[in-house]
Amino acid sequence: MVLESFLAAGLLLATPILLAALGELLVERTGVLNIGVEGTMLAGAFAAALAASASGDAGLGALAAVGMGVAVAALFAGATLFLGADQIIAGAAINLLALGATGTLYRALLGGTGAPLLLPSLPPLPVPLLADLPFVGRIFFSQNAVVYLAIVVVPILAALLSRTGLGLRLRAIGDHPAAASSLGYSVRAHRFWATLVGGALGGLGGATLTLAATNTFVEGITAGRGFVALAVVVFGRWSPWGALAGALLFGLASALQFQLQAAALSIPYQAFLMLPYVLTLLVLVVSRGSASAPRALGTRES
Amino acid sequence: MRTWLRASAALALLLGVAACTSSTDSGNGAFRVGLLTPGPISDGGWNASAYEGLQKIASELGAEISNVQVSTPAEFEQGFRDYAQQGYALVFGHGFEFQDPALRVGSEFPETAFVVSSGSVSAKNVASLRFHLDQATYLAGILAASLSKTGRAGCVGGIELPVIQATFDGFVAGAASVKPDFVVATAYTGSFEDVAAARAATDAMIAQGADLVLHNADAAGLGVFQAATAHGILAFGSNRDQSEAAPDTVLASAVISIPEAFLQVAREVKEKRFQGRVIEEGLANGTISLVMNPRLASRVPPEVKAKVTEAEEKIRRGELQVKTK
Repeated sequence: MVLESFLAAGLLLATPILLAALGELLVERTGVLNIGVEGTMLAGAFAAALAASASGDAGLGALAAVGMGVAVAALFAGATLFLGADQIIAGAAINLLALGATGTLYRALLGGTGAPLLLPSLPPLPVPLLADLPFVGRIFFSQNAVVYLAIVVVPILAALLSRTGLGLRLRAIGDHPAAASSLGYSVRAHRFWATLVGGALGGLGGATLTLAATNTFVEGITAGRGFVALAVVVFGRWSPWGALAGALLFGLASALQFQLQAAALSIPYQAFLMLPYVLTLLVLVVSRGSASAPRALGTRES
Repeated sequence: MRTWLRASAALALLLGVAACTSSTDSGNGAFRVGLLTPGPISDGGWNASAYEGLQKIASELGAEISNVQVSTPAEFEQGFRDYAQQGYALVFGHGFEFQDPALRVGSEFPETAFVVSSGSVSAKNVASLRFHLDQATYLAGILAASLSKTGRAGCVGGIELPVIQATFDGFVAGAASVKPDFVVATAYTGSFEDVAAARAATDAMIAQGADLVLHNADAAGLGVFQAATAHGILAFGSNRDQSEAAPDTVLASAVISIPEAFLQVAREVKEKRFQGRVIEEGLANGTISLVMNPRLASRVPPEVKAKVTEAEEKIRRGELQVKTK
């Protein structure tokens, strides 16, 4: 019972981070550093909450979150790619904007002191035969559609980046935009669309928070997960499989620390709260391979 | 031309923002009360109560009110200073974390009254409202130990503050008074907004056998209720009556009548009889209480209810001191 609870929680805690990390990884591969992931997730979470509570349908909520993620990403892309704003500053501004806007709208719609919002959840979609497996079935094969989507996106994104012409172009733009542009590829257009897709995934990650991991929205519900996603991208060395490993490590470590806290051991709780971060650091130190950041990350179009 | 356009646009924007945030002249002698909260007032708990208190002060004492959410110690101090400089008569710092900034800024602005919720400091113009919520959680602990079938309960907190730990200690003490070997696991998520983490923490506790949970995690407490509802166990709310948050799950809430407490202090300030001191608020003066959810009243057998009432009386009369570390 404990093991099952731990694994299920780990997966559920990992999913928002995984989705945001996959989106951000695509964006960073084209050389754009969007630190507004936290804001995108929060905006997506809020949009999902609004849509789901208005319509009673969690699926619509997820779609709304994707739309909102794209909108926020478009704002970022407009500021940085078309108006030449500094990417870090624009990203930070997005975070602040999202926190303020979602808070203000939440209070305007639900009253200043808030009312506990109960949202419909994303229904679990049991995989026909596999869900009946005794232990694994309940944990891995009875998740909701978004969790499956997140996992499926990993190999798709990996294949896209490493085996397709489009992927090659995206990576080239991230490493050497001048060379790519001299071959006639529009750096700006590629980065723009990549940013939008990144935003869509980030928004969907936020939806997972309000429609699956919990069934409510409160101000600041993302609680820094966007920044964890940024770290997971680096941890995974800008590869989708690496991001999966990082998100799972983080999610499982978080779940583990709660199980340890629940065991009523007399160890200071701060040791447990540190656990996911310490584990991540340890793995980073121990594993070899150079960090292969896109060489033109964060720079403007040459 | 372009540079001039940009410069004037920036200037216009700055002036516009400054105009929005500038205050009216304090010369008209209005009674102005400010509130600094560490979290969003939409949390339905700790911060929401403070905001309700502020609104009550506005409606009953005709005060001009203002509130700001602040997140870092530098902002706490800045917030106090801004209000004091604008001539506010009274500023509330809603949380234990405000006590040092209150003392510092209080010494610079002797004309303004500063009140810290859950603080334990005082100065000539600084008062603290010490809420003995542990007295109410003690009663909740009695309920938990009496009703639990597994002999195990859980406490989920946000950030570990001494006042929050005190409420959990009260809970443990209350449970121990009924059943000395009752096990209470405590978890902190490190955030008052992370609902998912609070839910995961509660799930873990339930997986390890807890069949009652107490939360003191403000907005994140919703996650605790969700986990409790999903597993069909009972939960206790805190700071405010949270029966409507989960009508079939919340057995009782340890409530602080923050609006009343705020109103009393504000009245003192308005009538110019404010004294800096530590104001003890507990079961005895009615600010703290354990509010039962009427919907689940049938879950509490009469003899358990009697135990709770008896303990409550003892605490009121001062015969029983709730021991917190």
